[in-house]
Amino acid sequence: MKIVPQLDTYPWLVSFGQTALGKAALIGAFAGGLLAIRLDSWMEMTGAVALVAYFPARRRLLVSAAALYWLFFHSTWLDRTFLRTIAKAEGQRTDWTLTLLVSGILATVFCLLALFFHYVRARRVSLAAKRPVLCLVTGYAAVLAAAGALPLGGMARLLAWSVIAVTAPYLWYFAYALKDASAKTPDGAILQFGTLRPFWGGTGVPYAKGAANLRRIETRNSKDLCITQLKAIKLLIWVFILQVALGALRVFVYGERFLGVPVLAAALHHAAVPVHVAWASLIAHFAEAMLGITVSGNIIIACCRMAGFYALRNTYRPLESRTVAEFWNRYYYYFKELLVDFFFFPVFTRYFKKYRRLRVFAATMAAATVGNMVYHFLRDYQDVTAMGLWRALAGFQVYAFYTTVLGLGIGISQWRSHGRERSGGDAQWWRRALATAGVLSFFCLLAIFDQEGRSYGLGLYLRFFLRLFLIPV
Amino acid sequence: MNNRLVIREFVQNLLSQKGDRAAFADSEQLIARGRLQSVDTVEVVIFLEEKYGIDFAEIGFDQNQVESIDNIMALIDAYGERLAMT
Repeated sequence: MKIVPQLDTYPWLVSFGQTALGKAALIGAFAGGLLAIRLDSWMEMTGAVALVAYFPARRRLLVSAAALYWLFFHSTWLDRTFLRTIAKAEGQRTDWTLTLLVSGILATVFCLLALFFHYVRARRVSLAAKRPVLCLVTGYAAVLAAAGALPLGGMARLLAWSVIAVTAPYLWYFAYALKDASAKTPDGAILQFGTLRPFWGGTGVPYAKGAANLRRIETRNSKDLCITQLKAIKLLIWVFILQVALGALRVFVYGERFLGVPVLAAALHHAAVPVHVAWASLIAHFAEAMLGITVSGNIIIACCRMAGFYALRNTYRPLESRTVAEFWNRYYYYFKELLVDFFFFPVFTRYFKKYRRLRVFAATMAAATVGNMVYHFLRDYQDVTAMGLWRALAGFQVYAFYTTVLGLGIGISQWRSHGRERSGGDAQWWRRALATAGVLSFFCLLAIFDQEGRSYGLGLYLRFFLRLFLIPV
Repeated sequence: MNNRLVIREFVQNLLSQKGDRAAFADSEQLIARGRLQSVDTVEVVIFLEEKYGIDFAEIGFDQNQVESIDNIMALIDAYGERLAMT
């Protein structure tokens, strides 16, 4: 039995959803769903999806218009507090002139990207045209390293960090745009703009990927649109249920009136925490993280689907995973896709071609370990500002450990499952349950090291890990 | 057997290994629809390298190239033309 009714499979509802009244009802239901899950911008989001969905001939153009609107009124991805702090520290003005400066830098960065895009499009024979994403990421990393290591001051420092703060949230969106530039028939600059932080949301990871993917997943007729919108509404209902579960978990596990389990961050720092409490804290942290990412990802995908794009879910039944590699694919799909697109395949198609298993293993390490580290280090530029380049690199040891174990786990998982039947549907139930339990245990324990803070060394986390198994430290 | 049939059989086999035995059209976007994952794309890449000698390091790789039977056919044709020109 399904918890959420399979609305998209009811023929009468699919027919009704294509009528004028049905379309209004779908939009109304979607607005109600956004209100129920307490999305702040529910009204604007509803208006945007209605416009984008019901003017299919202008859909992509409207996506760009909505992206521009969101840039003006909801650009929470630009860290204004950070920029004000830098400006203040350097004795610069923090009023409208700072806003003007940042806007100017943002416009310049977009113009430079457009120029780069056309350069790649012209298919010139140069490294920059052949490997645009490599050049983009290396260029950004070089600016970040220079800003973190050089003794800059005054306006020069503010300018350097403004460029970084403006570019960082767009970095991988730019990467997808540049990747599309190499396609046979890419979208032009205006349509590409809609995919740079699209209005349906996203993090540093582009949900629904770039323009190439949007062209593939755009609905082509009113029936497909209606089915995709019904799937969006289903997803919102699921989000609502998960939000209730997440709230209940927080109250029941962490609440003083109930179990009073300390959050993982607190348990890590207190050696006196009993072992069973430490386990409870870790399991609750893992469950909370899984529910949290499912909720936030599903909201974004629901909005994207409602606008007429059949995007795959970000998190899809992770508890059914029977291998480490499968969990990784189901848990955070768009981050995995980013790593696959920009790290896995570039290595896979170039190196160790004669050694099949080694080839997959090396590409997996390049993605899950190196790519994962690169993504997070470049994203968290604020740490480089606060700690300097070298201390920020040293503070990255915990996350580096996490990505190394993750890469090894996925690599070994793929190595072992090579050549086997992958459906696993014929296995006995207890074998399936055992496999799933093993996978979840691996990721639950690994969550100890999935820490993006840079303040504590690896020793703290290793001691906690050993304490869980009663190993004295 | 012509190329299209060979590829179709290979993809069908890949899907059935995952327990997916539903029919699919040559134009169906198997990755975008979630029927093929990146791990399956790896298998398709190796198959195309071994069977048709396609060098992805040379032409660049995009999952869209192996998204459907039609796309794979277009890739094989384009690569053949490219080789003929050089």
